[in-house]
Amino acid sequence: MPQQFYTQMKMKIQIKTTLILLTAFLSIILLFSGFVYLSVSNYSYEDFYKLLEIRAVTTARVELDRESGSQEMIALRNEFFEKLPQEKDRYYRITPGKSFTEEAKALDIPITFFNEIVKEGKSEYNKNSVFYKGIRYKSKQGEYVVIASAQNYFELHHSAYLRRTLVFAIIAAFVFSALIALYFSRYVFRPLRNITDRVKEISSENLHLRLANNSSNDEMSDLIGTFNNMLDRIETSFETQNNFISNASHELRTPLTAIIGEADVTLSKIRSTDEYIETIKVILDEAETLDRKTKALLFLAQTGFNGKTQKFDKLRIDQLLWDVKETIEKINTESRIHIDMSLLPENPVKLKVKGNEQLLHLALSNIISNACKYSNNNVVNVSIGASDQNVFIIVKDHGIGIPGNELKYIYDPFFRASNTLKYEGYGIGLPLTRNIIRIHSGEILVSSIVGQGTTVQINLPIGKFE
Amino acid sequence: MEKTVLIPTDFSIASLNIVKNYLSMQSSNTRINVILLHGLHQNDSITSLLFYSKRRLLEDLCSKEFREGCTVLKNKYASQLRTMKTDIFSGLTQAAFDQYAEANAITEICVPISYKPNFKNKNSFNLLPYFKVSGLPIETAGSETDIPMPEKGKVAELFFNRVSVS
Repeated sequence: MPQQFYTQMKMKIQIKTTLILLTAFLSIILLFSGFVYLSVSNYSYEDFYKLLEIRAVTTARVELDRESGSQEMIALRNEFFEKLPQEKDRYYRITPGKSFTEEAKALDIPITFFNEIVKEGKSEYNKNSVFYKGIRYKSKQGEYVVIASAQNYFELHHSAYLRRTLVFAIIAAFVFSALIALYFSRYVFRPLRNITDRVKEISSENLHLRLANNSSNDEMSDLIGTFNNMLDRIETSFETQNNFISNASHELRTPLTAIIGEADVTLSKIRSTDEYIETIKVILDEAETLDRKTKALLFLAQTGFNGKTQKFDKLRIDQLLWDVKETIEKINTESRIHIDMSLLPENPVKLKVKGNEQLLHLALSNIISNACKYSNNNVVNVSIGASDQNVFIIVKDHGIGIPGNELKYIYDPFFRASNTLKYEGYGIGLPLTRNIIRIHSGEILVSSIVGQGTTVQINLPIGKFE
Repeated sequence: MEKTVLIPTDFSIASLNIVKNYLSMQSSNTRINVILLHGLHQNDSITSLLFYSKRRLLEDLCSKEFREGCTVLKNKYASQLRTMKTDIFSGLTQAAFDQYAEANAITEICVPISYKPNFKNKNSFNLLPYFKVSGLPIETAGSETDIPMPEKGKVAELFFNRVSVS
């Protein structure tokens, strides 16, 4: 189901992208054609009114003034002035105190048209694609209102043609942009689809598979890289889990087997009291080992979860190190720990971290006692330094080291390196230490050369105390 | 007393060890300015000149460990060390280097006994020939041999390097 859901989501995004692109295209086209339509028709109206005005003036000159040579004018007018459709030229004399109500009624145009001509000198009016242009004309006989009217040819034919053209253009552009948007969204989401298809192939059975990263350095290759990284981590944790279960059952079974075997042998016949005491001692010993292991496991589990909040105090790392040294020397009198203060910062504030003293004490004593143990009580160097962000604790031994190919397993519970067989231990210390360092948002780095020694570097962030 | 010392660097922790050795030899009342200098031939194409930024260049070259190591040293020698900075020298001639030394008021140069820089960038070059001709006093520090150690390249490398100082 989740896969289906994912496909649905992706389809949705794809459609959404298409729609957004389409809307953008369409709005631009509509804006554009609307602008073209309005400005062209506006221009043609104005043009037509100008034409009518010329007609009105000519009519007035010819009809009202009857100047010398008006005969030629009439001839010219008839010859060159193409009659406009339904063209009519009228003139009315202006007599003061008389309004044009009757004329207005007769022509079926509002009286305001006439009033405006008288007042302003000219006026425009249109109705049912018949356009009226009126002017006030001062002739020798007196003042006249001259009105030229005609049907707008543009309104009749051109504008319809323009509308048709624009509608066709919009439809064509819509289809075209829809195709582009569809192609574009497909093109953009194709790599995503490919990734989905390939990720689907990977399951817990074939975790070693990785996504091929053949695209150049873009967001998709980043995504693929992130996916591959995640797969790496998942694979490791799968392995860790498998290792942990087999190791844990093995570790827990060893003492149990010893207990069962011991009891079995003893019960096979009647024994003397001394023998019983011996047997029970062995059983107690093994049971104690078991107890220690389960306790360590429990502790590991507790520190591993973040649900529980530990109490964090201000503490100085150098002080803590001296305490740890003392503790270890008490337990193992042969240990030789050398604390090196040569890079100790001059400002003691830089050594203060926020942490739980008990936990950090445990973590550091784990590391340092390991260093003592695996170097056969050779000198262990412990050094402190601080940068502006971190306190560094470095533990260096000259012991047996850790084989390079086993370094990545050292944090697995119960894992023990192949060269540690003659040393006691059951592989809880380091994972526990790492958990503790992680709780303190620090970092632990282990580097080692077999036969030369191991260096453990612990970075703890400096506490911010105001 | 105040000194400005020039130390060649390849941005490795090993080169910081030279700084550490040098600083440990100085008397406590000397105030020291350290310039960690890296020789780098610059690309002279128009685009790289147009977008040239020394800060970004240095950011690319310095690793996180190197920067942390620098601050560890700064904190350790907080009272002695006045300034410590990394710089890039990209001059071609001896005169350019002499100019650089004069402009930065270099009083001393400190080089490792066995200087085998390990450059990450193919345009980096060895500054030692310039040092030798410049006539500035040259001190040496560090160890003869290169002991393999597990902590190579980590900040930890800075911590254990008890080597004789000549």
